[in-house]
Amino acid sequence: MSEDESFDLAGCLELVRHRDQAAARSLVEHLHPLVIRIVRAHLPRRVSEEDLAQDIFLKMFTRLEQYKGAVPFPHWVSRIAVTTCIDQLRAQKRRPEFRWADLSENEADVLDAVMTNENDVEAGDALAARELVHKLLDQLKPADRLVIQLLDLEQKTIAEISATTGWSQSLVKVRAFRARRKLQKLFQELEQKERP
Amino acid sequence: MNPSDQNWSRLTTAARTAPDPRDTAAPYGFATRVVALAMAQERVAGSLLEQFSLRALGLAGLLALVCVAANFSTVASLFRDEVANTDDPVAEIVDLAS
Repeated sequence: MSEDESFDLAGCLELVRHRDQAAARSLVEHLHPLVIRIVRAHLPRRVSEEDLAQDIFLKMFTRLEQYKGAVPFPHWVSRIAVTTCIDQLRAQKRRPEFRWADLSENEADVLDAVMTNENDVEAGDALAARELVHKLLDQLKPADRLVIQLLDLEQKTIAEISATTGWSQSLVKVRAFRARRKLQKLFQELEQKERP
Repeated sequence: MNPSDQNWSRLTTAARTAPDPRDTAAPYGFATRVVALAMAQERVAGSLLEQFSLRALGLAGLLALVCVAANFSTVASLFRDEVANTDDPVAEIVDLAS
């Protein structure tokens, strides 16, 4: 969401319901930062972030009449964004296998450092670490991936994830547990079989 | 925490520090395009409803005509009886007498 605190969301929504195009454009511009952050965090391979953001906004306008104000509007939009991203991730069906040989030199170095050293990864390798994290997340089921990403990368609480996704807190915990177990298995497999 | 969890934790800690210089503002023309598409979708939905309503009206009219045609002899005989009863005063008197 844009940092403009003076934005009158309720007034803008009222105008949008009366098909005011200028208000609709303002609403899109106001919510774009919120939507694009979710899209970038959960973007499937070979999908343009702009196309996905556009789909999310179109869904938002189509379902606007269903919004009754039970949750804050940005939360409601977040849920649309999250479910749209999950649907796209599910549509990919097959996830690429995670193999050591497919990693770039930097990514392989980071993974090696993580698995052998007790120390933290060097600051210069942060970008490679992020790429590596995303490749590992690609191995998870879309919903599990989303939970672990929000928990470990965006450092959201279980309650915040529940509010963003609309899932119960127990379901969020179950998905986090399942995702961690799968990640453990991946690391063990890399350690035992794949490591050069 | 087991070693795999520690690996993941160290990896995500490093990933979090990676800068993301990408702008989060909507690209130029994005809002206009999205709003135009959204409004066009609403118009398509409205015109579809109109088309279906007109078709339904035509179909209902056709069904009414078919019904009348199928039962024409019954409808016609009813009218004939009514006309015969009201136009013939002798028949009315006989009816009253019986």
